[in-house]
Amino acid sequence: MLVAENLTVTAELGEGRAEVLRDISFDLEAGKLLGVVGESGAGKSMIGRLVAGMLPHGFAVSAGSLRFGGEDLASLPRRRRQALLGKDITFIPQHPLTSLNPVRSIGTLFDEHLRRLGVSGGAERRGRAIGHLDDVHLPDPAELLRRYPHQLSGGMCQRVLIAMAFAGEPKLIIADEPTTALDVVTQAHIMGVIGEMRARHATALMFITHDLRLAAQICDEIIVMYAGEIVERGPARAVFAAPRHPYTASLELANPNLTGAPRKLLSLPEHMPGLSAYAGLSGCRFAPRCPVADPACAGHKTALREAEPGRWVRAAGGCLGADLAAREGLAHALGGQTPDGTDLPLLRVEALSKTYRGRRALLGGRRGVVDAVRDVSFELRPGEFVGIVGESGSGKSTVARLLMGLETPTTGRIEIDGTDVTGPFSRHASLRVGAIQMIFQDPQSALNPRRRVGRLVTQPLESGRQPMRWPDRLERARELLGHAGLPADMLERYPSQLSGGQRQRVNIARALSTAPKVLVADEIVSGLDVSVQAQILNLLLRLREASDIALLFISHDLAVVRYLCSRVLVMHKGDVVEAGATETVFSQPQHPYTKTLLAAVPPDDVTVYWRPAEVADI
Amino acid sequence: MTGRFARKHWPLPLRSARVLVGGGIVLLVLLCAVFAPLIAPYDPNAQDLLNTLAPPAWMEGGNPDFLLGTDNLGQDTLSRLIYGARVAMVVAIVAALGAMLLGTTLALLAGYFGGVVDWLISRAVDLWMSFPPVVLSLILIVGFGVGLSNVILAIVLVDWTRFCRVVRSEVLVVRRHDYIDAARLAGFSHLRTLVREVLPAVAPLIITLVSLEMAIALIVEAILSFVGMSVEANIPAWGVMIADARKYMYQTVWGLVLPILAIVVTVIGFNLLGDGLRRTLDPKLLQRETVAA
Repeated sequence: MLVAENLTVTAELGEGRAEVLRDISFDLEAGKLLGVVGESGAGKSMIGRLVAGMLPHGFAVSAGSLRFGGEDLASLPRRRRQALLGKDITFIPQHPLTSLNPVRSIGTLFDEHLRRLGVSGGAERRGRAIGHLDDVHLPDPAELLRRYPHQLSGGMCQRVLIAMAFAGEPKLIIADEPTTALDVVTQAHIMGVIGEMRARHATALMFITHDLRLAAQICDEIIVMYAGEIVERGPARAVFAAPRHPYTASLELANPNLTGAPRKLLSLPEHMPGLSAYAGLSGCRFAPRCPVADPACAGHKTALREAEPGRWVRAAGGCLGADLAAREGLAHALGGQTPDGTDLPLLRVEALSKTYRGRRALLGGRRGVVDAVRDVSFELRPGEFVGIVGESGSGKSTVARLLMGLETPTTGRIEIDGTDVTGPFSRHASLRVGAIQMIFQDPQSALNPRRRVGRLVTQPLESGRQPMRWPDRLERARELLGHAGLPADMLERYPSQLSGGQRQRVNIARALSTAPKVLVADEIVSGLDVSVQAQILNLLLRLREASDIALLFISHDLAVVRYLCSRVLVMHKGDVVEAGATETVFSQPQHPYTKTLLAAVPPDDVTVYWRPAEVADI
Repeated sequence: MTGRFARKHWPLPLRSARVLVGGGIVLLVLLCAVFAPLIAPYDPNAQDLLNTLAPPAWMEGGNPDFLLGTDNLGQDTLSRLIYGARVAMVVAIVAALGAMLLGTTLALLAGYFGGVVDWLISRAVDLWMSFPPVVLSLILIVGFGVGLSNVILAIVLVDWTRFCRVVRSEVLVVRRHDYIDAARLAGFSHLRTLVREVLPAVAPLIITLVSLEMAIALIVEAILSFVGMSVEANIPAWGVMIADARKYMYQTVWGLVLPILAIVVTVIGFNLLGDGLRRTLDPKLLQRETVAA
């Protein structure tokens, strides 16, 4: 169906050329599901763009071919490609909300799509649209046709797009991270729908994802990509169960588990090289980060070869099947620190609630009232890491903003180190700055692009009654970068000159600058790649070892919370529905919502079959 | 300490051709304005009734004593143009900065605090903008009386809304960034957050607006002095020169063309300077341009 043979895509950069994709070979048979797995920058989306004929300017196929049913997609005439796209090849995009024209109703959008597919007759198209929407289990499709995209949730928009993608009985569907922007439970539902539709239509599907576990559960075959190369290719479950290439192995070891004995995460150094660095990587592109690399690797030209029947690996040789877990000493149990209970709580929250009032309609009418957070109470002791999990809209970020004083609670009480700090930020500013700091979710947004790193990380020291003098700040900035695992030569850089992981470290370093006793971290690893996430998580653990810092860790990722936190609160629609020791809550969930959340996560054990279609609705 | 950080950044704007050309023009006009008595060959009001309506020196019938010719009273056009730059520059700079100060201050308050403050300021802007600007400025001039400072005041009072509206929407965008909240958590007061975090982010926009506003103020002043509502008769201004030359445009068109040219070139200079500065000061645009290069 879709066959790539030694496909190489070269980009013209300002300072030279880079092989964005190098020597890519795979074949996707009719009705099969091929997973393309890799972190951002691996080049996995480039394949989808090549099929769509949307390679960025300056990028071109320089060798090999990508053929769809015998036709080379790289050299296809524009007209022929247009005839193929939307009919024989369709796409399921990453951002469902931005992929639907906001000024058209779902009905109009679907009608246009069906007309393009050659369905004649308005009533006929309407009937078909309702049928297709019904197939993806959208309730009341007739009513839905009248709605506009912004009136639907992300999950519903994605279902509409899936219905459209399958509408023309395509031969091939390319799904580029279709669930990355969605919550876990929604992700499970969407994967269930995709699986069901695919089984019914026997469509070949190329599933691009960063989630190795998800790919292992749903795909027939997977290819693992790193820096524009396929490093490993084989049957999905086999690759996941016994990875041969060190990168695949480290990808798995960098991902925290939700079940089984806790183990330390493997954190690879650095991050994936950028395009401009490719020219300097003549041999194995993974060699600079590889835990088992030897000096020969860097100069060694590698080729994809069959290590055992059906399993293809690109490696020089010595590294295949190395037992990284044993080598890196990851086996030792972590043992989430449990404070002995004699310490006084650093942070005490009592019956915290926040109610938002909606806007009043122009002519009278009642204001809608939203309980963003209802009656939340907990304590945080020195050295304790507590997690809050929940989906978007569960109120977990509001809790963080309330704690930080960025919002004032409607009722309830917040105590920091025995002092009541409920109320606006400015009333207890100096106490708060010294005692509690926040790490923001998106470092891109949280770091002022006009400040250099040195001035960013010491920002909390430049105000207050006694602002620190610059030489002292510089000294402190060096120290902080050391804590955050960044080299000192970063001091002079702007955030735009850093990678995502480095920015998040700067973000953490700033939160540490006043040596606070409590850190509040809101989804700080959700935008990061697995290997960078592992670096950040291990950094937080190191901080706990070095000091008695307490952390409130807010996340939607249960496995990450399990890795870090000894206690957990599960939030749902503003309420804490379950709380307790992490191991207990996750192994014996009591509340139905917790059970649903846990069931929605693809299992870490390949022998357990994930059934996304059976995940309950909540 | 800031010097060390700023120096690396400093030459960047000077690499832009727009900034060099625009800045050059503006600087030239500014130098003319400041050193008018030293540069101008004659007193701008000195009359030479033997040489009236002379064309520029290089034209047929031109007088080499008067490089750009004379007007109907035999006053040297070049000297009047040079002295006219004084009025133009004073109005452009003072009026634009005044409008910027008033508009930006209110915009920062509205965009940053939101809520009631935003509602009050935004409604005031809406109300203000519902008056036609020409009518409003004429009412203000009639109310204040004729004169240069009143012209400046009128321009400020009419045009602050332009700053307020545009800057407010940009402040709203900046306000949504987490680094504003982060600054508060770092113990910054509201004032400090506004000045150190919000203002630098909207500064490129303000610079662009100021340069555009300077051009607008210059034109408004020229119009008002054209109809005799600006400076007194004995002060040379480009608008006054156009008004005087209008009556004699069938004898010689130069008296009309030269002041108009002065206005056009200066306005282009301001616009180029503003555009070039915005491109070099805005890190987002800067990145895009370096990628494209």
